Amino acid sequence: MATFALVLDNLPIMLWGAAMTVLVAGVAIILGMPLGLILCFGVVSPKPWVSRISRIYQSVWRGTPILVQLLIIYYLLPLIGINVPSILAAILALTLNTVAFQAEIFRGGLLAISPGQLEAARMVGIRRWAARYHILMPQIFRLVIPSLVNETISILKNSSLVSVIAVTELMRVSQQIVATTYRPFEIYIAAGIIYIVINLLLSLAGRSAERHLEQGI
Amino acid sequence: MATQPTIRIRDLTKEFGTFSALSGISLDINPSEVVCIIGPSGSGKSTLLRCTSFLEEYTSGEVEIEGRLLGYRRTASGLVRESEQNIDAVRRNVGMVFQHFNLWPHMTVLGNVTLGLRLTKHVPRAKAQEQGRRALAKVGLENFSDRYPSQLSGGQQQRVGIARALAMEPHVILFDEPTSALDPQLVGEVLDTMKQLAKEGITMVVVTHEMGFAAQVADRVVFMDGGKIIEQGPPAKLFNDPQSPRLQEFLDTWKSRNMLFQADGRSPGTAEEGARP
Repeated sequence: MATFALVLDNLPIMLWGAAMTVLVAGVAIILGMPLGLILCFGVVSPKPWVSRISRIYQSVWRGTPILVQLLIIYYLLPLIGINVPSILAAILALTLNTVAFQAEIFRGGLLAISPGQLEAARMVGIRRWAARYHILMPQIFRLVIPSLVNETISILKNSSLVSVIAVTELMRVSQQIVATTYRPFEIYIAAGIIYIVINLLLSLAGRSAERHLEQGI
Repeated sequence: MATQPTIRIRDLTKEFGTFSALSGISLDINPSEVVCIIGPSGSGKSTLLRCTSFLEEYTSGEVEIEGRLLGYRRTASGLVRESEQNIDAVRRNVGMVFQHFNLWPHMTVLGNVTLGLRLTKHVPRAKAQEQGRRALAKVGLENFSDRYPSQLSGGQQQRVGIARALAMEPHVILFDEPTSALDPQLVGEVLDTMKQLAKEGITMVVVTHEMGFAAQVADRVVFMDGGKIIEQGPPAKLFNDPQSPRLQEFLDTWKSRNMLFQADGRSPGTAEEGARP
């Protein structure tokens, strides 16, 4: 009973932290989509140097731990004279990270579309970027929704790491509560449950988006 | 100017690595002419068509569309690759119909037919739709505007492919084995549509295995083998009086396959449609 009361007492502040988690991860994912798409077209570019640079970017961000990326960006920005609040550093790090992963997801979708569709576009005079916008993108998004939901869930969970740079999201808030109440078990379980609930909602949203977009295919 | 061919091909070669897919092709396609290109698989027919539309870069030689060089620019030091924009400009009056239709599955039939008009000719939506419906009417699909490609049969999809090309009002349409991916019973409707276009005087180049179609509709048949044009002429002459042993052999193979079908009492397959040559 006491446990229940303890969690209930701290629930409002934890939910506030959860909102911050959703904000940080959500902004990163949404910013990551257009950038990921551009990086994807960079990876498949016929120009060798564009494709090489894009791949190097991908290797760096997919090959290093997100915590390392986060700390480097957090400490690097002030060094080069840019002072931003830690929340912006967190969003920046998560965005740059998810861009690399989303580009790979989009590339998978791109490979599922027959190249003939682009040839048909060329033969009615549609330019490359217009074809990408009108023909490839709508199909890619439909194809990659499940993978995109996975990536969102992954970024949402990884956003717990930004607690190390003092962003008061769900994890940070939980740590603070534990520090004053000495009840880690109850508080961290409550935090875990909040993460699960958010992710379940995400999956549901993804599935309904899929169903919605299936119409017409 | 009056006698300028719609397409003029000179000494065209295409090499894939060390393999020479086309060697020394020269061919003129004149306005309102229907030219069928036949030949065994791997003879370079499709490659020729793809080089003529510059979907495939050619290795040497020249392709001119209505007097303008396609894909390259003439300079003092030889041919230089042209920009995409200028390639599009030269190709503007060339339409293409593909073996696998290549429709855009996320768009309605009308969307498929009007996208080019809207994006490249900047025709306003309402006007584009009107033009699109007219093109669909020409292929007998005016009532299918709001369907999606996946809701149509293969034959209907290919007719949408034809309407998509027609909507741009091209001066010439290239057909790359337009019926090869179709079930036998669906071939007829596509060929009928093409016959109709031929009657209307649209310039057409058709790579095909449909000898019956070539015999009935073509003004000229071109026989290719090994990346070369072996023989060409009016269909009656080419089919009844082949000069080269290779064409003779090709026609014999085709005829014996036909007889085999007839002896079996099986329904005639696609190639037998209007078998007559």
